[in-house]
Amino acid sequence: MIFLFDGDNEYTYGDLFKGLHENNLFYPFYKTKDVFSFFVNLVKGLVSNQSFSLIDGDINLSELNGIDINQINVPCDISPLSFTSLNEVVEAVSKSTSEITIFTSGTTGQPKNVIHNISTLTRSVRIGDRYVGQVWAYAYNPTHMAGLQVFFQAFLNLNSLVNVFNKTRAFIYEQIADKKITHISATPTFYRLLLPFEIEFHSVIRVTLGGEKSEQHIYNSIKKIFPNAKINNVYASTEAGSLFASKGDCFQIPEVLRDKFLVEDEELLIHKSLLGSSESFNYSGDFYKSGDLIEWIDKESGLFKFKSRKNELINIGGYKVNPGEVEKELLAIDGVQQALIYGKANSILGNVLCADVQLIPGYILTELEIKKTLGKKIQDFKVPRRIKFVDEITLTRTGKLKRI
Amino acid sequence: MQEKVFSIINEILAAKELPTVFEFEKEARLREDLGFTSFDLAELTVKIEDEFNIDIFENGLVSTVGEIFIKLNK
Repeated sequence: MIFLFDGDNEYTYGDLFKGLHENNLFYPFYKTKDVFSFFVNLVKGLVSNQSFSLIDGDINLSELNGIDINQINVPCDISPLSFTSLNEVVEAVSKSTSEITIFTSGTTGQPKNVIHNISTLTRSVRIGDRYVGQVWAYAYNPTHMAGLQVFFQAFLNLNSLVNVFNKTRAFIYEQIADKKITHISATPTFYRLLLPFEIEFHSVIRVTLGGEKSEQHIYNSIKKIFPNAKINNVYASTEAGSLFASKGDCFQIPEVLRDKFLVEDEELLIHKSLLGSSESFNYSGDFYKSGDLIEWIDKESGLFKFKSRKNELINIGGYKVNPGEVEKELLAIDGVQQALIYGKANSILGNVLCADVQLIPGYILTELEIKKTLGKKIQDFKVPRRIKFVDEITLTRTGKLKRI
Repeated sequence: MQEKVFSIINEILAAKELPTVFEFEKEARLREDLGFTSFDLAELTVKIEDEFNIDIFENGLVSTVGEIFIKLNK
């Protein structure tokens, strides 16, 4: 039984099982680009009830706020594992008492961490005979909430994962056909990149979109490429995990959770019992202010539509960029006097990250030089893709940068 | 126009520390041959839009260098 296809490598569930028992070392702060090693370490941590942090494989050490760099990739000893079957491993994972820390771009310029446990991470996982034999395209970063959701859905049913995260269109198509992928969960950007429609893939029966608002023409194109697929949308966040799925172009709050949500000034508030925990959460009583503005379609049945975000995070193809964080890095460059980061609407990523930069008179910097400097300090998706040099950046009357 | 498009493509390649090219084949595929990611493609569209006021990816139909010119010449 295959656990993971990753490029030319194939790993069976047997390999995963072996990996767990190979040694008694666990990495609580594991930074790796190797997806299989990442999963082995993740499962090891969960079954041993260790607490750990999930760190992006491509993150720069200077971005790791609140983590001691000396802890990265330093193993600790755990008690030897002695499972006799995979089902025992699955059972132990679902009963894990680990605290799992996930990082997200915060609204204040600092990445914030959110602590989850296995029940918030697996809330929407469905297990049972109906879910056996699925093959999942793995189109997310495994350290992020969406990637964890897909991992647990597949793993807890002993399904196969096919890594297609950040891969080319040709490779993705080849994998869908070759591995007979049945389920895809990805951002709208991922699906946009599968266009234009060339051939139909009949093996795919479920397509899930998440992370961004998506337009009707994407649904139409997805339907053409995957004619047998049911399409749905999920609302999930780093703070709460997956909360509800779509009904048409609306979302519906399940009846059992109806009292866990409030709407205040159009903003969706989520009861703290549904969340991970973090010191940086902004509460109103027992409710967390999600920052998502919604409008009721039918309040009685819990049906609503998303309108927009309240805070300033810019959504770049599903990645959330905090403009303040990037501006801070720009201002740290010698010669930069003032900087403004904003998103420009774009048909591929939803938004492209752009910067206006005002230089100190006498300094000469090129777009390429700035990009390279930033690339050494922050993750690639946070580096602005278009930098304009301007004579002046307009400020608001309170002296804040004026966002477009 | 052609020169401007080439220079935009080269800018993107340079930022990725890939060799720049004097002229691109019309058949060159953006994703497969030039190795453009979604972020690179988005940068390309924004910069072409700045220059020519046309969103070449509006209908998601551009896959080669030559097709950019077809869109721009419409």
